[in-house]
Amino acid sequence: MMRSVYLKTLYDKRWFIFGWTLGFAALSVLMATFYPAMHQDGTLDALVASMPPALKGLVGSLADLKAFPTYLGSQLFDIRIPIIAGVMAIILALGLSTAEEERGELRTFLSLPISRTKLLLQKWLALCTIMAMTVLGIVAGLYASMPFIDGASIEFETLARLVAMTWLVMIAFGTVTFAAGFASGSRATANTLGILVIVGSFILSTFGQAVDWLGDFEKFSLLHYFPAVEIAKGTIELRDIAVLSGVTVVSLLVAIILFRRRDIA
Amino acid sequence: MSTPKTVIQLKHVTKQFGKLTALSNVSFKIHQGEIVGFVGANGAGKTTTISTILGFINATTGTVELLGEKVEPQSAFGLHHRIGYAAGDMELPAKLTAKQYFSFLLHQSDGDYTKQYKELVQRFKPQLDKKIGTLSRGNKQKIALIAAFMTDPDVVILDEPTSGLDPVMQEAFLDLVRELRTQGKTIFMSSHYLTEVADVCSRVILMRDGLIIEDVSAQALLEKSGKLVRIVTGYKATRAPKGASDVEIETKRGKTTVSFVFKGTAEELQPWIASVKQLQDIEVSEYNLEGAFKSLYESEEKSS
Repeated sequence: MMRSVYLKTLYDKRWFIFGWTLGFAALSVLMATFYPAMHQDGTLDALVASMPPALKGLVGSLADLKAFPTYLGSQLFDIRIPIIAGVMAIILALGLSTAEEERGELRTFLSLPISRTKLLLQKWLALCTIMAMTVLGIVAGLYASMPFIDGASIEFETLARLVAMTWLVMIAFGTVTFAAGFASGSRATANTLGILVIVGSFILSTFGQAVDWLGDFEKFSLLHYFPAVEIAKGTIELRDIAVLSGVTVVSLLVAIILFRRRDIA
Repeated sequence: MSTPKTVIQLKHVTKQFGKLTALSNVSFKIHQGEIVGFVGANGAGKTTTISTILGFINATTGTVELLGEKVEPQSAFGLHHRIGYAAGDMELPAKLTAKQYFSFLLHQSDGDYTKQYKELVQRFKPQLDKKIGTLSRGNKQKIALIAAFMTDPDVVILDEPTSGLDPVMQEAFLDLVRELRTQGKTIFMSSHYLTEVADVCSRVILMRDGLIIEDVSAQALLEKSGKLVRIVTGYKATRAPKGASDVEIETKRGKTTVSFVFKGTAEELQPWIASVKQLQDIEVSEYNLEGAFKSLYESEEKSS
């Protein structure tokens, strides 16, 4: 079982995986159960139509609430999941990077014949695996609730696209914090950068639609490259995949270069 | 006779953390088969020195060589197959049991060391099935020591290895070191327990404020530090001879005890002994390493 840092990390985080997977599943069930109220109640149409643009940015488009895939796109994947996943990504990334160094465990591992690059990459692979397991909680939650909800159905391919892009966004968020942790060894630096990227992305994407000057900076938000409603409608831009992957790869490379040479506390 | 192979070499190593100089121009060599004690007060630079040898940190200037290869953080792991390491404050994976941790270590090694592992478990008797995080410090230390020795390393680097161990386990550890000495293994160990350094080490390196202040054989250090003299007399006004250090005078129930460290020869001490009035008892013994270290450390402190 304990053959590698990768497997050891997954074992260490087993309760974290269980808890977050369950949490995502519960959130998905909850959001799915709200769907009938959204597409059956005509008064909602009038209410959303009368909303100022800034609030519409928070709620999403009215038309998107009608069909189950776009309802999920706008209400689950576009707002809630990225924010909750962002929080999870910071907690997980800090736990895998700086926490071990603060405790002194990193020295113990580096006294073994394990290269710094290998150690970092195995932990990053564990981060990706943990995130994959937790997003599968969303799939499980939706499939468990759909048979009991009137009008709720989504093609597997559409759901797979949404989940895969969610995973990619989570990895990008997580890798930025993870990389900052390994590159600097400082929890404060990693935490600050992680929060800055996640909260910054949320602010730019949410309020960018309503505030003109903020709109110009929206492309700097990682969430700009995760247009959940468009993905739910069937389109997936290669550019979005490239940007999210690019942020991940560049962060990882910077972390490897700096971590290989720096002093370990 | 061929020169023994150098396994650890530091050449003019300086390490600075911001404005703090943790190591200042440190140079020494350790040869194959040597058991070297590394002694110094807290903050002297022992752990920093060990960290540069293992590649945890970079030297600001100077070079560190281990088994003939230059140590750098990015490549040090390549040498760790042949190195064992344990520290008194070593943090082991708290969520694993000792058994799981040893299984992990065996998978990282380059050979089958199951036999050595079983022998060490027999010797130290650790609690294998409990989570490491729940164990006492002494039990964690047993695990760290087994981990350091289980892959039959050529060089073992130990930083306060017996801290937390009970006397029985300390003795088991010292027995192991004595056995390894006969096998020609190289051991570099820092310790606060100077008696164990005196017991097993052939050489002692003393460090203070990031500087090597002495690098001698344990025997030479003892000789250099002189003899411990203790006399009992009925004459209250008795004073220690000229040149004595660490003087202690105590009068109780009409008896005065004078004890001191004397670095001169027996001939030099003889006239003073002859002059002591009402001499009742005299005891001359080898000054132990602890005293030698203290005396040397204090004299260095005065001179700096």
